[in-house]
Amino acid sequence: MTRRAAPLVRAAWALAAAFAVTLGILLAAGAPPFATLAVMAEGGLGSQAAALRTLAAFTPLLLCGAALCVTFAANLWNIGVEGQITMGAIFAQGCLRAADPAGGLPAGLDLALGLAASALGGLVWALLAGMLRTHGRVHEIFSGLGLNFVAMGVSLWLILGPWKRPGMASMSGTETLDQALWLPALGGRPMSMVGPILAVAAFVGAAWLLRRTFFGLTLAAVRQNALAATRLGLRPGLRILAAMGICGALAGLAGGILVAGLYHRLIPSISGNYGYTAILAVLLASGSLLALPAACLFFAVLTVGSVQLPLSLSLDSSLAGVLQGVLVLTLFAARRLRPLSRRREP
Amino acid sequence: MTVDYASALVAAVFFAAAPLMLAALGETVSERGGVINLSMDGTVLFAAMAAFAVARGCGNPWLGLLAGAGAGAAIALILAVFGLFLGASELAVGFVLTLFCRELAYFMGHGVARQPGPDLGSLSVPGLSDIPFLGQALFGQSPVVLLSLAALGLVWWFLARTRPGLVLRAVGESPRAAASRGVAVRRVQLLCCLAGGALAGCAGGLYSLSVKPGWGHPQGCEGAGWIALAIVIFGGWKPVRVAFGALFFAAIQVAGIALQDALPGLSGALFQIAPFPVMILTLLAVNLRRSTAFREAARRVPLLGRLMPRSAGGAPGAIAGALDKGF
Amino acid sequence: MDVVLSHIVKRFGQLIANDDVSLTLEAGRIHGLLGENGAGKSTLMKVLCGQLSPEAGEIVVDGAAHARLTPDAAAALGIGMLPQDPLDFPPLRVWENFALGGGPVLTRREARSRLEAVCSRMGFCLRPDVPVADLTVAERQHLELARLFDRDVRLLILDEPTSGISPAQKRTLFAVLRAFVSDGRRLVALVTHKLTEARELCDAVAILRHGRLAGSFAAPFDTQDVLTAMFGAEVAATATAAPPPPPEPLGLGTPVLRAANLVIADDKAVLRDVSLEVHPGEIVGLAGISGGGQEALLRGLAGIARSVAGELAIGGRDLAGRPATDFLAAGVHYLPAARMEEGLFPGLSLLDHVRLAFPDKRREARAIFAERCVGRFRLTNTPNARADALSGGNQQRLLLSLIPDDTRLLLADNPTRGLDAASIAQIWDHFRERAAAGAAVVFFSEDLDELLAQAGRVLVFFNRDMAADLPAASLDPGLVGDLMTGRSTAAANGGGSAP
Repeated sequence: MTRRAAPLVRAAWALAAAFAVTLGILLAAGAPPFATLAVMAEGGLGSQAAALRTLAAFTPLLLCGAALCVTFAANLWNIGVEGQITMGAIFAQGCLRAADPAGGLPAGLDLALGLAASALGGLVWALLAGMLRTHGRVHEIFSGLGLNFVAMGVSLWLILGPWKRPGMASMSGTETLDQALWLPALGGRPMSMVGPILAVAAFVGAAWLLRRTFFGLTLAAVRQNALAATRLGLRPGLRILAAMGICGALAGLAGGILVAGLYHRLIPSISGNYGYTAILAVLLASGSLLALPAACLFFAVLTVGSVQLPLSLSLDSSLAGVLQGVLVLTLFAARRLRPLSRRREP
Repeated sequence: MTVDYASALVAAVFFAAAPLMLAALGETVSERGGVINLSMDGTVLFAAMAAFAVARGCGNPWLGLLAGAGAGAAIALILAVFGLFLGASELAVGFVLTLFCRELAYFMGHGVARQPGPDLGSLSVPGLSDIPFLGQALFGQSPVVLLSLAALGLVWWFLARTRPGLVLRAVGESPRAAASRGVAVRRVQLLCCLAGGALAGCAGGLYSLSVKPGWGHPQGCEGAGWIALAIVIFGGWKPVRVAFGALFFAAIQVAGIALQDALPGLSGALFQIAPFPVMILTLLAVNLRRSTAFREAARRVPLLGRLMPRSAGGAPGAIAGALDKGF
Repeated sequence: MDVVLSHIVKRFGQLIANDDVSLTLEAGRIHGLLGENGAGKSTLMKVLCGQLSPEAGEIVVDGAAHARLTPDAAAALGIGMLPQDPLDFPPLRVWENFALGGGPVLTRREARSRLEAVCSRMGFCLRPDVPVADLTVAERQHLELARLFDRDVRLLILDEPTSGISPAQKRTLFAVLRAFVSDGRRLVALVTHKLTEARELCDAVAILRHGRLAGSFAAPFDTQDVLTAMFGAEVAATATAAPPPPPEPLGLGTPVLRAANLVIADDKAVLRDVSLEVHPGEIVGLAGISGGGQEALLRGLAGIARSVAGELAIGGRDLAGRPATDFLAAGVHYLPAARMEEGLFPGLSLLDHVRLAFPDKRREARAIFAERCVGRFRLTNTPNARADALSGGNQQRLLLSLIPDDTRLLLADNPTRGLDAASIAQIWDHFRERAAAGAAVVFFSEDLDELLAQAGRVLVFFNRDMAADLPAASLDPGLVGDLMTGRSTAAANGGGSAP
């Protein structure tokens, strides 16, 4: 086995083990295993509409995945992506509902402003968690998680309160935006391609930032040894804030694209678990930037495919999350089981 | 406000605090032994599902509670195998387990969702429940409260007064030093992780069998595990302080519900999320209190030191770098 | 009890720490194990007390051969070790530390009465309910010794026991060890790199060099023979020569460093009211037991620990309360004691270290590496090697090469700890060069002999306070030891302020 092939072999082992564990879980839940997997594959890839839905899920996943690569590079557990998506969506909705499509600015500029606002919303929310870490010594796992719940509460409050539909508040979300403020769908397609293009651009940008720039090197230095970075005057606190800010801006952008490109309104739980799923995707790619898009795509297929489960097989759609978790855990095991022979002395 | 109303509020606080206390005590045992079990939230949810499903299947809530404890220990076993024996990052595995167990709970629990099932019922200790004010809160309402207080006493006694408790604390402070004195470090850590997981599993059972009876997607106890993790830090890894932390957060939940009735103009969404900003603020206060800069400031202005809660000590040595860090 | 180590081999990856070492330890004697840092002394002793398993060879205790020992098995045979850094549980109480590990399971009351018994026998004074974190290094040693004596240890191994304790405490320790072997059945193995200690205490010494046994001598032994065995013939000649006298200050003009009533808040401790001036060309040594405040002073002067009150000026610029970057801009650099933990990035290449240290010249990193790191500091690794592959000496060479030439104040925390003789000599030559070029050097060393030999002026710290500021020539190790343990004050010795 060559060095280059080793990760592939590990991935194969992990897949096989994940498959076995999944079969066990499905049998334990009394579900027909193969029919279930077939429904998921069909739901995620079976038709053009399904493929477009998968692409729509892939967009926020890749954006958040790229965003998380930046924070992981600085050794930050940015669990707050979920809330940063939500805040981005809230800012975008706030900006777009204030826009007047009939007069004033051209619709393209309104949209650009809306997306910029969404990035700002995510940035603010991430910086809050970052400053709690750098200035308040609160670990970002707790601040991020707490802020996720807060962002969710704020969005619920807006939907049921100040931004409620005329007449009655509804859990189905705010009023739909004017069609002029939707991200444009080119060539008669049912979905805008602006989101996916932005996501790929963000991913390439993040990869370039981390691999090719001095900033990327300083983030690696902060991850490796924050004390030594302080000693060299690299100001780890500032760099942590910068990494959090970049991550938050991209996650917020994902929220803005969900509002302007997919739902065309603010809905409760608009972040749709994409933030947590993206963390799993980054862990599955295990630090490899090349593997990240593939991991995001795979998870998007699972997420979209599982939506069919309650209807066709009367199963809970959370099976997607189960599969994603199993896959990451088996990969951890496959990665750790090999070097068992050379155990270090204490 | 009448005495009866106040007494009822106190009873509600102890009732709501019971599962939080169990989960936080479980995490305390685990972290005092040097294992951070970040999967609390998933553990509590999955155990809640398992406990409810088994209780419904057997018709016996106590068997359900046992199943919940078993489920919690099983999840802790996965964490321990990865963290202690495969050398994976405890934080990463714990976080993945959090998400995985939550989704698995929803998936496996689909069949029993929104179904009626048994619960732990109520219980009154004759005599003790007649103590004025607190008697009803502690001994007059539910076995859940007694269970949480018993767990508190047991964990405190185990850690402070027994030989295995001493060994566990030693391992958590310095695994290397413990190994040099012939302690089987990984076995001790495995056991403390399993015990902590079982306690957290009990907490899940208390939710689905008593405090928020039933199962559903969502169940209603989402986020409780995270609050338990924060309570451990808030309580400085000391069982009694941790128990007070659980009461504090339960009081916030109860106050939210009470205020919601009193102020119908405000949205319920705001009260549901209230514990989370409070969680961040308490961590902020506790961590600033521990900083040298604050100690120095308090030396100059003694009033500052009296205003802030007293420092509750630091993290066990083995995990000090992992969650107690700051720049 | 007689112990024979026979043909022990122990490897760490590529490195052979013990290469076929055989050694006989006889009852009733104090055996010294001498050698440079990195010679394999500690490894051999860890094999003997069961913390490491050897690849080959055996351990024969009273005639019974063992291929390897575990900590439990070694304790059962009566082998106990006092490690170099206290290996105990700081937040736990004294009696809890005493009760843990080996021997019978003790109840709280039993543990306390046995601790009292062994303390009164050995003349130690330990309060059972105090957390170990509140003890001094010497008291932690006493606690560990009390525990080992209580478990009826017969072979007592001590690894560099005198680093971090004062000369008076050292005398007490040596008396305890002599009493310990006096019954003729027990024995002591003392690991040290200091020949004077071995001469003072040991009945026989064995010398390790590069993992091999380089010689063994019975007392009284010839200094030159031992040194030759330790270092080889050429280095031994220079090791015995006295170092050149420390440089004089280059003039009393503007001080490089001026602090008045400075209060420094470090992570663990607060250092109060320090006032001092350091002039260009000075080499100032700091003395104190661990936690005495000298480490906090170094970090405070580097801007890493915050100064919360008082004045602090570097090169005339007021820097009190400013962030670490301002200190760097003013030409202050800090060399940490924990080189890998605080100084280097384990997973990054050496070239990346150069880029990070000289960000303005990062395009010429390769040239800088070749010229500075390899050319001037004799670093022997390739530019693409990772920092975690460096030996201790090369770690320090890399750290020194990353400090720019225009540094005005160089702060060093135990710059030579754990290094071999050649590296130590290189470091002191380099510091003297920097001082001659107009920089000031402030360093802390736990080794009092080194401190007095290299510094022109010594500041002694006790209990997070500066206890004395005296010219090195007026001091001897005993006096410094008394000052840093609070047994004496500067005023009582007629000392005053330095020039």
